Amino acid sequence: MRLWFAFIVSLIAAPAAAQTIVTSEVPTSVSVSLYRNPDRGEDDAIELEYLQGFALISETREVDLPPGKVIIRFEGVASGIQPETAIVTGTDLAEKNRDRMLLSQRGLLDAFTGQRVTIKRTNAKTGNVTEESGTIRSGSDRLILQTKDGFEALYCNYQNETLLFPGVPKGLTAKPTLSVTTRDQPGGKQTITLTYLAGKFDWQANYVGELAPDAKSMNLTAWLTMASGDDTSFESANAYAIAGKIERQERDNSEDENSEYSADNLEVYFSCWPYGTTTSNLAQEIPVPVNVQTLSAPAVMMRMEAASEEDMNIVVTAQKRMAEQEDLGDLKLYRIPFPVTVAARAQKQVAFLKKQAVPGEMIYRSKVSGDDYEDVEMLFRVQNKKEFGLGEALPAGKIAFFQSAAGRRMLVGESNVADKAVGEEVEFPFANASNVNINIEERESNKKSESYTMSVSNANPFPVTFEAEFNLDGYSRHDNFTSKMTRKKGKNIWSVVIPANSEIKLGYRKAEIEAADKD
Amino acid sequence: MRKLMLIGLGGALAASLFAQDLRAQQAIGEETAQGDVAVTIYNNNLALVQDIRQMNLPAGTTRQEFPDVSASIRPETVSLTGSDFGIAEQNFDYDLLSPGKLMEKAVGQTVTLLRTNTATGAETRERAKVLSANGGVVIQVGDRIEVLRDDGLPVRVIFDKVPPNLRAKPTLSVTVDSTRAGVRPLTLSYLTTGLGWRADYVSLFDEKAGTINMQGWITLTNSTGTTFSNAETLLVAGEVGQIQQGYGRGNYNRGGPQPQGNNMGTETGSREQLGDFYLYPIKGRTTIANAQTKQVSFLDVIGAKASKAYEYRNEWMGAPGSAQSAATVLKFSNAREGGIGDAMPAGTVRVYMKDARGQAQFIGENAIGHTPGGSNLALKTGEAFDVKVQPFVEKREIIKSDEWERSVRYRITRSNGKTETVTIDTQKEFWRTTMKYVVTNAKSSAVTVDLIQSGLNRYWYWADDRVVSETITGEQLNANERIWKVPVPANGETTVTVVFDTRY
Repeated sequence: MRLWFAFIVSLIAAPAAAQTIVTSEVPTSVSVSLYRNPDRGEDDAIELEYLQGFALISETREVDLPPGKVIIRFEGVASGIQPETAIVTGTDLAEKNRDRMLLSQRGLLDAFTGQRVTIKRTNAKTGNVTEESGTIRSGSDRLILQTKDGFEALYCNYQNETLLFPGVPKGLTAKPTLSVTTRDQPGGKQTITLTYLAGKFDWQANYVGELAPDAKSMNLTAWLTMASGDDTSFESANAYAIAGKIERQERDNSEDENSEYSADNLEVYFSCWPYGTTTSNLAQEIPVPVNVQTLSAPAVMMRMEAASEEDMNIVVTAQKRMAEQEDLGDLKLYRIPFPVTVAARAQKQVAFLKKQAVPGEMIYRSKVSGDDYEDVEMLFRVQNKKEFGLGEALPAGKIAFFQSAAGRRMLVGESNVADKAVGEEVEFPFANASNVNINIEERESNKKSESYTMSVSNANPFPVTFEAEFNLDGYSRHDNFTSKMTRKKGKNIWSVVIPANSEIKLGYRKAEIEAADKD
Repeated sequence: MRKLMLIGLGGALAASLFAQDLRAQQAIGEETAQGDVAVTIYNNNLALVQDIRQMNLPAGTTRQEFPDVSASIRPETVSLTGSDFGIAEQNFDYDLLSPGKLMEKAVGQTVTLLRTNTATGAETRERAKVLSANGGVVIQVGDRIEVLRDDGLPVRVIFDKVPPNLRAKPTLSVTVDSTRAGVRPLTLSYLTTGLGWRADYVSLFDEKAGTINMQGWITLTNSTGTTFSNAETLLVAGEVGQIQQGYGRGNYNRGGPQPQGNNMGTETGSREQLGDFYLYPIKGRTTIANAQTKQVSFLDVIGAKASKAYEYRNEWMGAPGSAQSAATVLKFSNAREGGIGDAMPAGTVRVYMKDARGQAQFIGENAIGHTPGGSNLALKTGEAFDVKVQPFVEKREIIKSDEWERSVRYRITRSNGKTETVTIDTQKEFWRTTMKYVVTNAKSSAVTVDLIQSGLNRYWYWADDRVVSETITGEQLNANERIWKVPVPANGETTVTVVFDTRY
């Protein structure tokens, strides 16, 4: 029995006479650059189950080529490879091919349509196994087999049936594979670089702000959080993260989705004949879930080694080693200065920024228009400048603020950050205030204007800095303020310190813009 | 007996059995009924297949089958030509073999039932007549009528035969009248969907040198369900008119306004033309496997001139809450002089740049349409991290101009019969809007940002817009848009103030 298998496998594995095929199984070195999903706003979290960023993967592979035209198969590329983006340097190419015929139930059934397979039946009662040879006479979705007895629908009869295939068809691969055909070349050892984009990656920055007890400064630590949803692990990779918004085109997969013959369509549903009883009337053909197995053992062993979804592991590297930042055109590149493993279906964090005692202001703010106002939010405002202890590019991500209170470290709030350049003012609105409240009352109104009094109360036992920002709609204006206002980005700002446990007031008017008579 | 043969160790028997399987094995994906195949592929998910097969036609009327045609064939476009025969009819059978169909076609016929006793595991066979297959299969066994599987017990149904027009795959058949018997070449030609191509450009941008190296690849995709073996392949750049066969096919919609600096050229490309279309033949014969993406090189240019620009477009009175990044735009030409030097079929341009240690990194991509030679291209590759624009409305007021406009004109008839005309002129009112644009640059080198204010002619009645003052002289691009080229020093900022008078 065992001998037989060896015999079959060796025959099947015999190389085809046509072109010489050289297989490169693994890269000798690899670099992975992660790009944030350009459509994911700073407010949206990374969804590990559905990563929509991408990566640029560059692999160096050593191959020993015979002279002439050679097909080189690159195994173990990222499963999310976008084949049209592949760049191959190191040998002169005639063409690049990406065959997506994966070794799967669907792939086997498609390949064996019209071919002979073995049907294995197990008697549920006695456990007797019978095997019978048959030919697949239909498409894979509606299995009809021809046996010596006649024609039969598979999986339609409440029996334990499975199909055995005599081997793995040529061209079906367990791992995502890219192949190239070279032109006539002299042969010998070659170093080939394979570069491509692949989906199912993402990254973002994660900031941790430790607020000082007086909330006038913070210690800031920032991490690159990198996630891979790919099936392939990249060992000892040079890893990079690229910050900034990149323009990408939607890939046109409409044909694939619609096509019954699409390679991306690995699902198989089997239909049966009308399945009704005297107590039911089910007109539709019902799908029956089944298992198939292959006689060829190596195929099973070739399964990709990927962490399962349950043990999606999150790796945090030691803080002393930090990523280095450089400019890449108009983007920011973070280089991880030591080799890391970008593991399949895993998330990893590397620090890129550590700043002590960054000065900032704690502000209580509301946006006001007429008698409309937003809930008072608490925000921490810093100037991203060298002279203010910062002055670093801050890529988009999340920030969590902590502060020590009552002898323990507590979470104060969380906020999102968009990409912030050096020199910008950065605001982190992290929570809504509960002890600072607004009340607006109308004093008088006429056809063209309304006058209001705004009272702001502070129930805290400490003074707070409060800002009211007056927003315009383009057809009205705020004026007649009873306190001194400042201007910022075309808006009137009332900035005031409210003493502990007290209330202050501001009077103002909202009026329609009217023509000032000229002459 | 069967079981013995398979699992038993009869050497000779086994060898012959597996030799047969092995032949089947080798046939997978290799054996095809196709003859000499030529494929012409258009951009918009359409291809013309010409397949010359050597076929032996007997004299008289026969039905000929053509396996291995594209499974996505458009059967109404099939034409078959050859000598000494005429076509009686063409059929495309897409009634596929499925368990349900098999049962329907077995109505009135006899099948074999093989029941398994769940207690003992014993099998019994009996013949049954299928009476109906309408939402449940009614069968007659002897003189009893029953519903198949009503009891939920294991039962196999074995059919004696498969109706001839039920097939594994859609199949084309043609009934021909041949005047003589003998082998002759038959030319089968048809249109199929599922084959398409586009161009993919790899460009390495060297900012310091102001150049790009560009490689062009033709990317061919086959999702027809069929492999075309050893085919002569020709690609046609341009979209031939076709009646919509599906949704969302082959559109290169570059949505939204394009950056400044795109204009189409007038140079003829170096390729062979078919009317308005350029042709890209693939050298030698190639096999286009099903579910394959195939790429073939067609362009390789080193050192074409390229430059980078920044652009920000503001909506009318647009005042975002925080500063917004300007777009990074890559500009180059496909002119013969200093450019790519050839027409560029529609596709995607991907831009790479080397990092500080010489590793090429991806910096963005954009789509181009079919681009004739001599065109200037300006592609947005992304947004600049360090170059930002904060526009805001500084002031809004209504002003009365020194101009008068006639609003009404009356004709008055006095009681004495005299008529006179009275006109009423009103002073023209304008909304005066003061816009400020703070352009910041955190880069260590100076930049120039193309700042565009759009929405100046949103409605026809806005026609009388004016720019009262501007701190940098702008240029009116069109009725709707005005552009200012804003120089921003390294690590610095420039504020542009513009006062607009609009009617509303």
